[in-house]
Amino acid sequence: MAKNLHDNICDEIRFNALFKKHAKDLSNFLYYKFGDHLNPKDKTQDAFIKLWENCKKVTPEKAKSFLFTIANNLMLNEVKHHKIVLKHHQTKPKHYTTESPEFLMEEQQYNQKLQTALSNLTNAQRVAFMMNRVEGKRHKEIAELLGISTKAVEKRIYGALKKLRQDIKEL
Amino acid sequence: MEREDLIKKWLDNNLNSQEFEAFKQLEDFEELTRLDFALQQFKPVDFESDIELKKLNLALKNKHKKQNNWRKPFLRIAAILAICLGSFYYTTTLDTSIATKFAEKENIVLPDNSQVKLNAKSTLAFNKNSWKDNRNLDLTGEAYFKVAKGSKFTVHTSVGDISVLGTEFNINTRNNLFEVICYEGSVKVAHANTIRILKPGESFLILDNKLVDKPKIRDTSPTWITNESTFYSMPYTQVIAELERQYNVTFSVNDIDTNQLFTGSFTHDNLDIALQVITTPFNLAYTINNKKISLKRE
Repeated sequence: MAKNLHDNICDEIRFNALFKKHAKDLSNFLYYKFGDHLNPKDKTQDAFIKLWENCKKVTPEKAKSFLFTIANNLMLNEVKHHKIVLKHHQTKPKHYTTESPEFLMEEQQYNQKLQTALSNLTNAQRVAFMMNRVEGKRHKEIAELLGISTKAVEKRIYGALKKLRQDIKEL
Repeated sequence: MEREDLIKKWLDNNLNSQEFEAFKQLEDFEELTRLDFALQQFKPVDFESDIELKKLNLALKNKHKKQNNWRKPFLRIAAILAICLGSFYYTTTLDTSIATKFAEKENIVLPDNSQVKLNAKSTLAFNKNSWKDNRNLDLTGEAYFKVAKGSKFTVHTSVGDISVLGTEFNINTRNNLFEVICYEGSVKVAHANTIRILKPGESFLILDNKLVDKPKIRDTSPTWITNESTFYSMPYTQVIAELERQYNVTFSVNDIDTNQLFTGSFTHDNLDIALQVITTPFNLAYTINNKKISLKRE
C-alpha cells in the first residue's frame, strides 16, 4: 500500500475519496450480514458521519476497519433492540412469466428454500459467500475487505456452498 | 483434477478453459448453475456512491447548521439579557443629585427622613436604592444635616469623610476651607490621617491645610439657615467668597490684605447692608457696578 502523506482524513476531498472507495462494500457487507430491513444504507451513512466526527483520530490506513467496526456495532445495537429474524428480500424477475405454471411453482419453491437456507448460514459464511457469488469478488479481495486470510475465505465460501446444497435438498 | 478442487476454483472465478470443460462435465454442474442463477435475485439494491455521498454531505452540513442554530438564538438571548441587566444595574445605581446655584438654598428630605439644608452653590448626591443598606452621601459646598437615628450615616467630601449615627451638624467645604461643626450628638471626622470626634459645640476647621483651633460655639444651628452668614476669625477671602455665592456677584479687590481675619455676620437679604457690615470694620469703601463690586481703602 502506498504510504499516506496525511495522518488524518479531515479533508473533504480525502473523505469523499474514502466514501467512494468503501461505502458500497460496507453497505453490501451490512446487507449480507444483517439483511435489508435494518437499512444498511442508513447505517453506512451513520458510520461515515461518525468517521467525520472522529476524523482527527483516524489515520487513512485505519479508516476502513473503523468504518466496518462502527457500522457493525450500529447494526448489533439495532438487532438487540428489535430481535428480528434475518431475511433476505427478493424481487421476482419478470421474464419468468412465459414459463409453464408448474415450472413457476417449482421455481418459487426453490427460491424460498434458498432464502431459508441462506438465513441458516452463519453470518460470516453468508457475507463471504454472497460477496463472492453475487458481486463476483475473488477470494483475495474478500480477504482484504474482511481482514482475514484467503484460506479462511475459501473455507467459509466452500462451507457455505456445501451447507446450502444440503439444506436445499433436505427442505 | 479432483471434483472438489474444480468447484473451489470455480468459486474463485479461477478456472481456465480446459478446467471449465472438466467442470461442465461434473454431475454438480447443473445444480450449481441453477443455484448461482437463483442467488442473483438476492443482489443488494444498487448502491449509487455519488447519490449517497451527496446525502452524506448534506447530512454533515445540516449537523453543522444545527449547532449554529442553537448558538445564534442563544447569543441573541444572552445579548438581550446583558443589555437588560446592564441598564437595570445602571439605573438602580444611578445617584440622585441635587445642586444649588448662586443665591439659592435647598431643603432636602432624605429617604429616612433625615433633613439636609443645602447652602448656595453646593451639590449633594446619594443613591436612593442602596440607601437602606448604607447612608452615603457625596457633598461639595456647604450643607447642614439633621440626621435621623439609624445606621451609620456618612458624608463624603473631597477633603474628608464625616460619619455619624444620628445628630445635627454642618459641613462646609470651600476653597482651602474644610469646616465641620457639631450641634448635637457626636460626629466623627476623618481628614487625611487625623480622626476627630466632635461633641456638641465643637468644630473641626482646616484652613489652607492647617488645623485651626476654634472656641466652642453656643448656637444650636448654623446661622446661614436663617439667612445670615457668620464668621469667627475667618480670613477675609472666605468672607468675600461667601458673599459672592449668596448674592451672585464678583469682587475686585485692590491692594487690600485679604488675609485679615474677620469676625461678624452678614445677611443674605440685603446687599447694601451686607456690604456695609463687611467693609466698615476695615475702613473700606465699595462701589457696585452691574454685579461687579470693587473694594477700595477709604
